[in-house]
Amino acid sequence: MRNATLNQFYGLLAREIKKTYRNPWIIAITVVQPFMWLAFFGSSFSSAPKSFLEGFFHTYSYVAFLLPGVLSTSMLTVGMFGSMSTIQDKRFGYMKRILLTPTDKATIFVAKSMGSTTRGMVQLPVMATAAALFGVSFPLNPVLWLGWIAALFFLGLGFSSLFMALTVASTDWQTPGVISNFITMPLMFSSTALFPQANFPAWMRAISAVNPVTFSATFGRTIVLGGSIDWTLLAYLALFAAMMLFIGSVMATKWLKVE
Amino acid sequence: MKRSDTAHTDAIDCDAGAIVTKGITKRYGSFTALENVDMIVPRGTIFGLLGPNGAGKTTMIKVLTALIPADAGSACVSGHDVRREPKLVRADIGWVAAEVILDDDLSAMENLWLQAKLQNLSDWKNRALDLLRYFELYDRRNSRVSQFSTGMRKKLEIALALLHQPRVIFMDEPTIGLDPGTRRMLWQLITGINREYGVTILLTSHYIEEADALCSNLAIIDHGRIVATGTPSELKSRVKADIVEIALNYEPDMPTFAHMDGVQEAARTENGMRLKVASSESVLPRILSCLNIDGVLKINVDKPSLETVFIDLTGKRLSDDEGRMDMRKFYATLRMTRR
Repeated sequence: MRNATLNQFYGLLAREIKKTYRNPWIIAITVVQPFMWLAFFGSSFSSAPKSFLEGFFHTYSYVAFLLPGVLSTSMLTVGMFGSMSTIQDKRFGYMKRILLTPTDKATIFVAKSMGSTTRGMVQLPVMATAAALFGVSFPLNPVLWLGWIAALFFLGLGFSSLFMALTVASTDWQTPGVISNFITMPLMFSSTALFPQANFPAWMRAISAVNPVTFSATFGRTIVLGGSIDWTLLAYLALFAAMMLFIGSVMATKWLKVE
Repeated sequence: MKRSDTAHTDAIDCDAGAIVTKGITKRYGSFTALENVDMIVPRGTIFGLLGPNGAGKTTMIKVLTALIPADAGSACVSGHDVRREPKLVRADIGWVAAEVILDDDLSAMENLWLQAKLQNLSDWKNRALDLLRYFELYDRRNSRVSQFSTGMRKKLEIALALLHQPRVIFMDEPTIGLDPGTRRMLWQLITGINREYGVTILLTSHYIEEADALCSNLAIIDHGRIVATGTPSELKSRVKADIVEIALNYEPDMPTFAHMDGVQEAARTENGMRLKVASSESVLPRILSCLNIDGVLKINVDKPSLETVFIDLTGKRLSDDEGRMDMRKFYATLRMTRR
């Protein structure tokens, strides 16, 4: 039975990945978007005095500060694609084709969540290359890179699962967009993805302290700016992913329908 | 694979046929989609479930494939209790949809690969290639499905349904929206796979001629109830009469026709009347003599056929406007899936 579940999971995940990377628009946007973030947003402090950058961001390069935050924000939004893919499958009848095999709904849920997370992970090498072109230097320790990959994966998986769980019963194309707007903005701006929390009001600092995007952005910064790794933050992100995956799987088993 | 020959509900004999139902009832709110349906589909047959839109055919398939639970009653498919062993049921069934549901971004072979993964097949490749040869798709096995014609897509869908060697295949209006040539090609394939692979096929259809051509056994369903079952010839022999339908632009005097010699039944319809007559050849002149010919819009005579059986049992034709509406839905879905 375990072998069957793994086969079904692998088949569904491979389908998600093939569908994604056979779409030239998705590839183009995946590559161009990080450059735009770093070029437009990253340049917004390019004329700021070094003393201000050092005092406020603890680095002379705002791009180096921004990179882990933008990557975390990207992983926050990838869940929308898993939701859209699920709704597309329902509307075009493909969900019925899947559910008319012995595949568990939870397996479908996990494969969709993993699929959208994998899609988001591609942004790490693209964005790191872009940041390097903007003058950011990176530590060469592979353990740090593996840790960073794991952290972003856990963040993406957690938010993909959350997205999917919130839209699992929906067949409306507009739902993922609405949920995305509802979730992304408050989580992004209440995190340290774009700015440090030093000047946040107390209530926002309280949200930021439990916001997984903050943990991921901080984790990335300890690597990029400090050349070290904080395993506690990684454990928190792993716990977040596991919880969301479990809750989403339970919800999918209960509410995922063919149409 | 474990068979449920002991764990039955409501004393249903799962071995009585490839599909066995007893007292299946399904309600959506106050609407009863299926009411107390008893049905036995003999193994190895092509069994037709015939009825208009909304009769309950698709709901019946959803219940039998464990996509939705019945509110009451029991069902077995391929020896497995649908409620208790849904995974075993799904491992032993194939499915062909009306709308052609494939992944257009994948090739024919990749669609088969995915189906093999979902059915947990280890040795699937040779069978997949055999099926592609059988359905004359071998040369296009690596082409994306989006480049396939409707007929090719239908063939691939049937190949998917056969890949894991199921004992029962559900075909939900498989030829709806197809041109006559493709439809006849599919008829040949359906009878071919039934013969060649010994698989039981439950086929729902709008088309009387399709049921007549393909099915060895039939059930007629209307308003969620099975109103008749039997072989096509058994059903035809039930109605030893012709049906004369007359469309009029005036109100006919029904008692005149009801008491006419040779008329067995007379019923008012929306735009005229329907008469059940022993022999249309002998009665029609008398009927015409009682009509205001200027007010006659259309006369239709049906000799004993499944269509007359259906009219006799349900009071309406199977090939009505609902069928045409479904065609529009079908084409809309096809356009969407092809993007």
